[in-house]
Amino acid sequence: MTTPTLTAPPRELTLDRGLAQKRRRHSILRSQKRAGWWFLAPALVHSAIFAVIPTIAVIVLSFTDYSFSPSFHWLGVQNFTDLLGDGRFKAAFINTVLYAVIVVPLAMAIALLVAIGLNQRIRGLSFYRTAFYIPTVTATVAVGVVWLWIFNPGSGLANGVLSLFGLGPASWLVSPTLALPSLMVIGIWQGIGAKMIIYLAALQGVPAQLVEAAKIDGANKWTIFWNVTWPSIAPAQFFVLITSIVSTFQVFDLVYVTTHGGPGVATNVLVFDIYNNAFQSLHLGYASAETVIMMLLIGAFVLIGRRLQGANNLD
Amino acid sequence: MTDATVTTKPVRTTSASAGGSHSGITIGKVLLYIVLSVGAVLMIAPFVWMLLSALKSNAEVSTFSWLPKHFLWGNFVEAMQTAPFLKYFRNSLIIAVGETAFTLVICTMAGYALAKLPVRGGKALLSYFIVLLMVPFQLILVPLFLVVKSIPLAGGNDILGQGGNGWLDSWWGLIIPLGAAPMFTFLARQFYVSLPSELGDAARMDGVGELGIFLRIMTPLIKPALLTIVVFQVEAAWNGFLWPLMITHSDDLRPIQLGLATFSQVQGDVQWPYLLAGTSLAAIPMIVLFIFAQKRFVAGLANFGLKG
Repeated sequence: MTTPTLTAPPRELTLDRGLAQKRRRHSILRSQKRAGWWFLAPALVHSAIFAVIPTIAVIVLSFTDYSFSPSFHWLGVQNFTDLLGDGRFKAAFINTVLYAVIVVPLAMAIALLVAIGLNQRIRGLSFYRTAFYIPTVTATVAVGVVWLWIFNPGSGLANGVLSLFGLGPASWLVSPTLALPSLMVIGIWQGIGAKMIIYLAALQGVPAQLVEAAKIDGANKWTIFWNVTWPSIAPAQFFVLITSIVSTFQVFDLVYVTTHGGPGVATNVLVFDIYNNAFQSLHLGYASAETVIMMLLIGAFVLIGRRLQGANNLD
Repeated sequence: MTDATVTTKPVRTTSASAGGSHSGITIGKVLLYIVLSVGAVLMIAPFVWMLLSALKSNAEVSTFSWLPKHFLWGNFVEAMQTAPFLKYFRNSLIIAVGETAFTLVICTMAGYALAKLPVRGGKALLSYFIVLLMVPFQLILVPLFLVVKSIPLAGGNDILGQGGNGWLDSWWGLIIPLGAAPMFTFLARQFYVSLPSELGDAARMDGVGELGIFLRIMTPLIKPALLTIVVFQVEAAWNGFLWPLMITHSDDLRPIQLGLATFSQVQGDVQWPYLLAGTSLAAIPMIVLFIFAQKRFVAGLANFGLKG
């Protein structure tokens, strides 16, 4: 009976304090929101100026004959129809697609196998990890120079190795038929490290309890791999796939240093062709139209890649 | 102490796919070592051969061999005298340091806000950065060049960005546009997300400001992750080629990769030993950086891309 009167004042007090706290929390929330925008502003401004505006500009330019001079004309789709009849562009398109279709899956498969191997509690892990990663950390220009020398028809390492097996010297990068496959070899060789290191990180994150549970249920290594490991590394797979597609489509440095697109148009790739049209011939509008096609191509590849991966994950 | 939380995570679970065999040598293990060693040799051999060939004489490199007859260490010195490799080297260093500092400031701030601050539309902003992450720089090459050329009030430009060269042929142009890539904002966000929010709330109750929480409480906790960003960014900057090729004209600004490419494109007689000596000098810093950073680098990566 007396308890209510005794407890009433404290309750009022706590209510009051609660209100003050709520108000304080509210003002803290407001200052947090404000801080959030200040923190984000530099990155937003930077990306708007150096990524969003250029992306929009490339689409607009692709319908014009812009070439650095202030007077330029609206061409409609003429750049695109011109591209259809452009032999150099056709070669670049086909070479780039071939390069991506061969290099991406092969490099991914080899990288995954190496990562699985390195994840088997082996000695000298950091040595192997470094060895496989060295080509990735090395600039493509340096890699190009080294391989230019390796593929040198006269005194290169590649023909040196072939002669060990009694095979005749090949002309590698200067042969119209072997040049693109030679570039693919370099691309795969250089691309393994980056993918391997992401796979390795993902494999180390596969929950040990799941593997143990599967073992207790009597699953063999093969079923554990497909049912536990494979789904667990799906996010990493996706990341590797996207970055691999994007980076193989960007191949430029390698071509610039080793073949300059030759012999003929045998190794002409899209970025190299875009670079030539934009900065050698100064046809910026035309180069932009090429870029738009490349954008669509990458988009298509990413979509197909996601589909394929989705299908795998359902298995 | 956070080093522990981040680095031990993968270690604890390494047994994941370690299979059933405990110790002892099995045929499978031997095969595994053989395959991995052959692979490692394939990866390293070109570099070993590059280093050895850099020490050969001009006559010697015209036929295939592994070891030089005489180790001509002087080739490195002479290479320096033939082309301004030291200057290229310094330029690369300036670009790498500048770009990395810029990236660290901009991307940690944005990443932190995306992960821990209640920004309206934060989800949409995150998707925005993820979409940008997929736009390769090569795609926006042409307009990016035009944007950099028309930076207002720079390089003789008027307020509308007309009339001059903007940031072309300048350190600004080399460093700013390619710094702070969306990938690093995303990466930073992934790291901040894994920190407990209570840490910030406690500090807030003690009256610490938002900047203080970010700088003094949260960011020191992701030091190993910052190393991952640094390694990626330094390598990207050091190995950059196409952008400097497009926007620089003078040797005073050109980085080492460009210098190498120019040296290798000399028509007629390329001096291979000098070129390979220069290439070795360009490659070695990044290899050394990776060797020293690899443990934490891989641990930092383990945090990334594994949580949505």
